[in-house]
Formats: sequence, C-alpha cells, structure tokens
Amino acid sequence: MRVGIPRTLSFFTLYPLWKPFFEGLGVDVVVSPESNKALLDEGVRETVNDACVPIKLFHGHVAALKNKVDILFMPRLVSLDGKHTLCPKFLGLPDMVRCSISGLPEIIDFRLDLKKGKLELYRFLYRVGQRFTASRAKIIRAIWLARHNFSRYRKLLLQGLTPQEAFNCLDTGYEPQPEKNMSSIRLAVLGYPYSLYDNYISVGLLEKLKSYGVNVVTPEMVPERELKRMSKNLPKNLFWYYSNRVVWSCMYFLQKQNVDGVIHVTAFGCGPDAMTNKLVELETKYNPRKIPFLTVTIDEHTGEVGVATRVEAFVDLIRRKKGMV
Amino acid sequence: MRGYLGIDVGSVSTNLVVIDDDCNVLIDVYLRTRGQPIQVVQEGMRQVEEAIKGKNIEICGVGTTGSARILTGVIVGADTVKNEITAHAVAASHMVPDVQTVLEIGGQDSKIILLRDGIVVDFAMNTVCAAGTGSFLDHQAARLNIPIEQFGELALESKSPVRIAGRCSVFAESDMVHKQQMGHPVQDIIAGLCDALVRNYLNNVGKGKEILPPVVFQGGVAANVGIRAAFERALGLEVFVPEYFHVMGAIGAALLAKSAIRGKGRTQFRGFAVSDMEYKATSFECNGCPNLCEIVNISVNGEVLARWGGRCGKWETLQKTG
Repeated sequence: MRVGIPRTLSFFTLYPLWKPFFEGLGVDVVVSPESNKALLDEGVRETVNDACVPIKLFHGHVAALKNKVDILFMPRLVSLDGKHTLCPKFLGLPDMVRCSISGLPEIIDFRLDLKKGKLELYRFLYRVGQRFTASRAKIIRAIWLARHNFSRYRKLLLQGLTPQEAFNCLDTGYEPQPEKNMSSIRLAVLGYPYSLYDNYISVGLLEKLKSYGVNVVTPEMVPERELKRMSKNLPKNLFWYYSNRVVWSCMYFLQKQNVDGVIHVTAFGCGPDAMTNKLVELETKYNPRKIPFLTVTIDEHTGEVGVATRVEAFVDLIRRKKGMV
Repeated sequence: MRGYLGIDVGSVSTNLVVIDDDCNVLIDVYLRTRGQPIQVVQEGMRQVEEAIKGKNIEICGVGTTGSARILTGVIVGADTVKNEITAHAVAASHMVPDVQTVLEIGGQDSKIILLRDGIVVDFAMNTVCAAGTGSFLDHQAARLNIPIEQFGELALESKSPVRIAGRCSVFAESDMVHKQQMGHPVQDIIAGLCDALVRNYLNNVGKGKEILPPVVFQGGVAANVGIRAAFERALGLEVFVPEYFHVMGAIGAALLAKSAIRGKGRTQFRGFAVSDMEYKATSFECNGCPNLCEIVNISVNGEVLARWGGRCGKWETLQKTG
C-alpha cells in the first residue's frame, strides 16, 4: 500500500507528523517531486483560473502523484491551533482537486479541526489508522512515533534549520550547524511555509539572500510561547492561522531580534495577505528604528530578474544604511 | 585624464556616459535599444570611442546597469554590475545632494526611491503592469500621430484636461478613443492622459510613501514637460528635472564603477575593440530536469564567454571549467 503526500502547502508544517505515522502503520509514503516547471504547468492547466499560484502548484503535485499511489492523503485542515482557521482554500482543497483532476485514486480527506479540543488530533489519526489496520495497538504505536518525530522536528526548526534541512536531519541523524555570520546583516523573511521553502516558486529567494551573505530568520524559527505573547499586542487577531503567525513573528523579530529589514513574500492575489501585508508593513514603518520593508510578489512567471533586482537593491539599501559599503 | 564609463541598457533606451575623476559628465550617448542589446552596446561603444578620440581620456573603470546589465557586463568587461535602483539613487544623490525623493519613469518600468541624508531608505517598483511608462506614451503618441517630443508641450496648452482612467493602459486607450470621438481637442486629451498616468503612478508605485522635497524626476519620460507639470499639480511641490535626466542610470553605474575601482585597483575593461568583435547570443532549452530552463550562450568569435539562465548552476559552472 502506498500513500501519496503532495510536497507543498501544509507539507512543510506537518510532513514529519504524517511520515512516521504511516510508516508505523506499515504503509509506504510517496512524496511528489520538488516543484518544477512541468509540475506548475500541469497545475495551471488543471486549476480554476482565479486560484493563487500555491493552489495551482498543489494541483500539479496531485497530478504527479495520482498514478503512483493507491491513496492520496489530503486532510481537510480546518484549525491547527484550536483558535484560528486555515485559508478557505485549504478547507475546500479535496473538493477542488476532485472536480479538477480526473482519474484520481482514493482520497483520505478527513477533517482535522483542533477547535474541537486537543484530543482531536489523536481521534483524527486513529480514524486514518483504521483505514489501514484493525490493530488498535499498531495505530497507537504509530501515533506515538509520529508525535515523537514531530516534536523533534519543531525543535530543529527553532534551532534555525530550514524544513528541508530538518527533514534530512531526521532521516540521517546528521545535524548541520546553521551558519551565522555575525558581521553581516539580518533579515526577517516572512511568508507562508509553502512559498518560502519551495525553492522553485520563491525563485530561490532564501538561497539568493544566503549568497549575498545575509542571515535570514523565518516565522518557523519563533518559539510558540513568543508567538503567543505577541498575539496579545493586537486588539484583534486575524482569522487565518498562517497569517497570524506571519504578523506575530514580524513583531517578535522587530522587538526581540533587532532585524535590519523585513521581506514579505506573498502570492499574487492572496486574499488573507491583503490584510497581512499591510499589517506587517505598518509594523515596520512605525517601529522607532524605521525598519526597511520589501514586498516580493510571486506568481506563475518564471522571470527571476524582477525579484532579483528588488532583493539586490534592498540588500544594498541596508548595507549602505549600516555604512557597510 | 582618467575616465569612468557607465552603461545603462534598458528595454527602450541604451545610455552610455563617461565621467571624470571629479564626476563631471564628459560624454553622454543616448540610443534606442530596439530589441538588440548587443549591437546597440557595440554601436554605443563606437560612438564613445569616437567622442574621446584626441581627448586623452583613459577608461579606468566600467559599470553596467539596467535590465540587460549582466549581458552588457560580460561583453564590455564590467568592474561592477548593479541593479538600476541603486544606480539611479547614487546618481540622483550625486546631482542633487539633499534629494529626498526620486521619481523615475523609464521605458517599461517606473520606480520611486526615497532617500534621507543621502541614503536610500525605501523604494518601490511598478509590479506586473507597464501602464504609465514610456512605452505606453510612445504608443499613444504614434496613434495620435504626434511626435513624442511635442507630446508634453501640447499638454501644457490645455485649459481643461479631460478625465481619463489611468489604472490600466488598455482602459486608458479606450477612454481616450471615446473622448476623441466625442470631440474633445487633442490637447485636453493629452493633458488628461498625463494626469491619469501621474495619478496611477502615485497610487501604485508611490502608494503610502512619504514624498518630501526636493523631488527629482528622471528617466526618459522626464523629458515630457506635461508629465512634469502634472506631477507638480498632484504633489503641490516643485519637481526638479536634472540636466542629464535621460542618462541618470548610466551616470550611477559610472559612479559605482569609480568607487569599485578604488577598492580593487585594476579595471577588467576589455577595451573599445569590443565594438568590432562578433558577439553571438544563442539559447537552448536544457532537458536535464523538468524545469526546462532556457539557457543563454554568449560567445565571442566562436568561443563561449558566458552562460546563464539555469536554475541549478550546472551551465554556469561549465563555462568556468571550459
């Protein structure tokens, strides 16, 4: 039995939970290849025209998996923290995919909504487990493995590893030390995990910054308790799970980490980002240190030049401001 | 005398300038790119060589900028290859030392740069749409059969500009056609277009930016007095157009080359002979992975000089190892 997981959207948040769980059930996990042009082209063909590029890409990943697996795992993610909801497109994802792509294998699309209580995750995993085995003990063991692996993953992210580095570390046990260049500038790169850590769709933004010798911090590196503390700064928080984490981590980086600049990566036409982008911009603008801010918009176009020009100029601006040139 | 060459190859125009050690502009060349950046750079080099003949100027540093900056940098052997935002900011703050706002409208992009105390603190570029840039003005001038050089002066003759939707160039054009068929004089339509472009620029590129004087307006479109007047009306501030407004990017590149040379000593300039060499650009689609990158090959006299366009770096490395 092979279960397919698309390498995008919640993948960068939850894959270390799903993988050991399915393996514990004795199921093979198949992940779609890293995003590439052919995959995006396929996704653009299959998806409704108005969707944002991450959703189009998701369709491409599903199309790449559909003939290689027996079951597609695509849970209907409603809430991951018990308070805030994921973007509506996450909620409708299984339906969108069913309507757009033909010839799909069985889809597991159980609802995961932690607003129903903390134990909901275990009830969810138990239901999924029952699809594969009748052995209660086997499911409970798989849940335990998943939990253990997931908390290790969270710890690695807090140490400053990117999700890909953390995946490698969990697989091989080798732990790379994040390079820190103390004399250099430090930038907060904000955005949703599926935009930031997908090298294709972000046109290699993180690597580009690294090649300029910039230290990069991202929302995944912020401890949960700090996010919670920052959430009290706003009179009212946003509806959306990932958007809130972007805004809170922005506040954290500005208040506690002395970042030199903030880059917000947003997908063209993203609804939740209409609010998020403005909130983040205002945070930087009204900071006493007047932190430079840049919005990078990603879309289907493959031209890296536009992004490269803006990012290069942005890094120049900060270097000159700090008198490093 | 020591001279520094700056080259700005944009989508519409290609500019070359030579400055001396005191940053005075000795030579400026303005050419249309016409979709052939290599040939036009070679033509520009020929004109610069012609102009400095007998003047005893030695080129001690070269900088390139603009959308074809990498290509040009390889062809001429540049000491510094910089993005156009930095280049324009450097040039503006050199020409007008206390400048706080730079408005730049070029052929296919427009940007705003905010400086405080001579340092760039914020900038923005137009996003995907090229509405309100030079190309669109060119197109409208051609459609109305007015030479682009007279476009701005005609706008100044208008007493009551008509209102034109400037959000999108497609809508702007249909709006203009509508107004012209209704019988509005062409001066009023052109003035209305200038207002619409400025409104669009301030709402999109200049959105939320604190525009403080002195304001410098540069780039090819700054030649248009109609747009300049529209900016002054909209901002309520005097808008200053520098003498070399059309080649500011190139001046910035030259200034950056000058400071780059201070750091590293010798120039990599390949000499004016580049204008007679045979450069060839070819491209192919790499089938190494599903990304299908479009790789560009630049060769001189049959020998591969540089390659780029790949995402993995494989082709770029091949170039170094031969």
